[in-house]
Amino acid sequence: MLTTMTGRPLYVGIDLGTTNSAVAVFDGGVTHIVRNSEGANLTPSVVRVDAKGRVTVGTAARRFLERDPDNTRSEFKRLMGTDRALPFRASGMAMTPPELAAKVLAALRADVHDQLGVLPDTAVISVPALFELPQSAATAEAAALAGFTRVELLPEPIASALAAGWTAEQGDGRWLVYDLGGGTFDVSLLETDDGFLRVVGHDGDNFLGGRDFDWAVVDWAIAAIEREHGVRIRRDAPEHAAAVARLKHAAEEAKVALSRAGEVVLALPAPLETGDSDPFDPELVLTRETFESLVLPLVDRSLAVCERLLREHATAAAGLARIVFVGGPTVTPVLRERVAAVLGAPVADGLDPMTLVAQGAAIHAATAALDARPAGPLVRRGARLWLQFPAVCTDLSPHVVGRVVDGNSGPMPTTIRLQRDDGGYRSDAVRLDDDHAFVVAVELAPRQANAFTIVAEDGAGVTVTVDPPGLTIVQGMTIGDPPLSRSIGVALVSDHVQLYFERGTPLPARRSFTHATIESVARGSADSVLKIPIVQGEHDRAHLCRLVGTLEIPGHAISRSLPAGSEIELTLELDRGGRMSARALVPALDQVFEHVAHLLVPAADTEVLAASLATLRQRVDDLRADAFRHGMPHILIALEHAERDLADVGRDLGAAQGGNDDAGQRARRTLIEIDAALDEVEQSKQWPELEQRIVRTLTWVGGQIAHLGTERERSLFEDVARAVDRARTERNVRELQRQLRLANQLGETAWYRDPDTWPTLFDEATSRVDSASDLPRAQTLVREGRAARDREDMGELRKITEKLWRLLPHDPSARRASYDSGVR
Amino acid sequence: MSVTDRWADNPFFVLELSVAASRAEVERAGQKWLDMLAVGIGRAAIYMTPLGARARTPELVRSATAALRDPERRVVHELWYLDHAPTPPDDDDVVDVDDGDIGFDAMTPLGWARP
Repeated sequence: MLTTMTGRPLYVGIDLGTTNSAVAVFDGGVTHIVRNSEGANLTPSVVRVDAKGRVTVGTAARRFLERDPDNTRSEFKRLMGTDRALPFRASGMAMTPPELAAKVLAALRADVHDQLGVLPDTAVISVPALFELPQSAATAEAAALAGFTRVELLPEPIASALAAGWTAEQGDGRWLVYDLGGGTFDVSLLETDDGFLRVVGHDGDNFLGGRDFDWAVVDWAIAAIEREHGVRIRRDAPEHAAAVARLKHAAEEAKVALSRAGEVVLALPAPLETGDSDPFDPELVLTRETFESLVLPLVDRSLAVCERLLREHATAAAGLARIVFVGGPTVTPVLRERVAAVLGAPVADGLDPMTLVAQGAAIHAATAALDARPAGPLVRRGARLWLQFPAVCTDLSPHVVGRVVDGNSGPMPTTIRLQRDDGGYRSDAVRLDDDHAFVVAVELAPRQANAFTIVAEDGAGVTVTVDPPGLTIVQGMTIGDPPLSRSIGVALVSDHVQLYFERGTPLPARRSFTHATIESVARGSADSVLKIPIVQGEHDRAHLCRLVGTLEIPGHAISRSLPAGSEIELTLELDRGGRMSARALVPALDQVFEHVAHLLVPAADTEVLAASLATLRQRVDDLRADAFRHGMPHILIALEHAERDLADVGRDLGAAQGGNDDAGQRARRTLIEIDAALDEVEQSKQWPELEQRIVRTLTWVGGQIAHLGTERERSLFEDVARAVDRARTERNVRELQRQLRLANQLGETAWYRDPDTWPTLFDEATSRVDSASDLPRAQTLVREGRAARDREDMGELRKITEKLWRLLPHDPSARRASYDSGVR
Repeated sequence: MSVTDRWADNPFFVLELSVAASRAEVERAGQKWLDMLAVGIGRAAIYMTPLGARARTPELVRSATAALRDPERRVVHELWYLDHAPTPPDDDDVVDVDDGDIGFDAMTPLGWARP
């Protein structure tokens, strides 16, 4: 038992992994990994329910994964956020992914209790950086089911970076955290500057993991069996599921053994049965060379993501201070060698890739002041203080802020002073202000826990007892507020996205925008529902982002009918764990709507997936033919990537048709990504048009800035113009569009100052007024606008013009693509 | 965000720092204001700008701290802080852009395309 923790704070961090999970604790000085009842650092994320309904978790359940797959579930993390309940046939029970994850979390919680005598109520749980909102919400739900009353979610790469930064003496510079888990790949670019840690950026592949290594070996074994035994095993056939599970188990063991041996024989737990042949026990010898040839394409796929991230942040791989490996699959020697060789940066030594994430989560729990010890009996002595201070901080001179909130339990202090218990620092005495509050600057000793005693005195200089009597601040590397992993916005009827929170926004966050409805909602009508789709992703077209929730305003819930063009004040709010809530205020009704429907990953219907796959294949064929006709080799290279991904989708679709939901989800997401990639190819195909757009945009913006811009805008425009040139040289369509958007914003800011701007827009809207959704209202606005123009009231004219635009018709196909959005 | 908001919400105003502030001073100021807001110290709820007093919120402080952590974003705010004086509201030739209305940037999603 880790008895050293007694009397010290207890911060709990959990790495809830796809394959294995781990729990670590931090006492303000060092981290410890909590061993499970079997003495292991890692607990398999596996749950079994037997015929009597008894639940086992971890290693005990893992043993049944091959023998009894109908009653044993693993890798359910990949299904978090879906509403799919997984059955346990013998007991007739079924559990959702959060319920299964809760079993693992509860087991880890019990391990902490067994080792430390404290059943923690709070924890930080790590999640993949590219988890979407429904997946984060499902993780929080699992934590609540496991008995945690307060949790914070932390992106895994930040957790591992914190642990790596905490445990090592590091110099300044940029470094990479390469995190390959069982099911996901994350790469983060971090920067240490004066001891402060900053996430420069991150990227990843939600469906690349060590499990793909195993499947590559399984596919190799299936091919060898067909070649040598004439038996065809299909991954997508339900009747072959047991044989495939045995091969996969053998592949996992072989992968580990090959990190030491030159070749291994795949050890099958039992003979293979396919239903088409007698049981047989093939001898499959896998050499390290063959294994490497199987996994290197996957490693290269991860390296392409690394290079994309480095390129995006203008960082040379050779300039990286180090690479930190995280995750079980990164112990594979060929992976380490390949990554180090391609990126040309040193690999950080002495860090345990298997438990680094849990350790970082525990350190973050301290930053978030999530002490997991249950509150003791309330014994108040002296004046009660409400203190705010960083439990962990990098700054050597932080502030302690406080306020006397209960002066009835003793004499009231008038001054406060803090003195460090090691005698190294003593603050000035600070006088309490009229609010009985104080702000005291303190000095910390580096890289250790700094205990302070609070010395309070009354007006006569007599010491006054205060509660609490002291506080502790740990100095060390930390990161401030957790950043949002993916941008969040609202899909508009035009298929554009109104961005609410940009990727990297510090959490918690809240933002409001006013939208306008595009059609009326009839009171009492069951069919009349106004939808406000909430999407997540980095594209400015809604259909290329993921739908993560829909706020609905149904006809049956409104107090009176809502006309088209009505205002909706929408507020989105994210807590520190990345959980979202939405609130729509409709001033015309004086009603608030807060129910976000379908906060789920959309179901992966195999028929829809098959149709989408066929469409995208046809699109690739058309683009290829076009590229050959017009001699555009760069397009052919891009299409090769798309074709490879489509082949993966085809295989996943087969598995999904055989009942593998996880593969279906992977296929769904990959299809969206291919769709976005083909959009970029289409745009690059129209390069001559893009060239024209560059000229047109820069000419227009340059003109506006020259006439109406400030000196600083002119300077910024020069920077943007240079960036446009770079993107044009690199044929980087996405970056080019981003820079053109920036240029447009600069130009439009300048255009604001032109007194002709709003009259021009008003005239344009007026010319289309016959097609307005509410003609009488539009005609009234036209009259009001003309009057405003005549009296040169440009502020009023602007408001009227915006209202008029909102009444003009939308494109139905754009609306369909934009998740049937009902707002502008 | 209107030009006025962009100016008044400049992180250097929000955190009451000079453009010469070090990274440590940025973190220190961010932490101090958040803690003061948390315990309800009245003077923390307002910050002064050349356009008058503005409400300081935890979201604004977090956002300001994050903006100044990023060197690329910080330099833009430094430029705005130093050089981008607000448009005089009494200038007859200038359109009033106050009040945080939906704004011109949002006209494109509304369906407007530049001529």
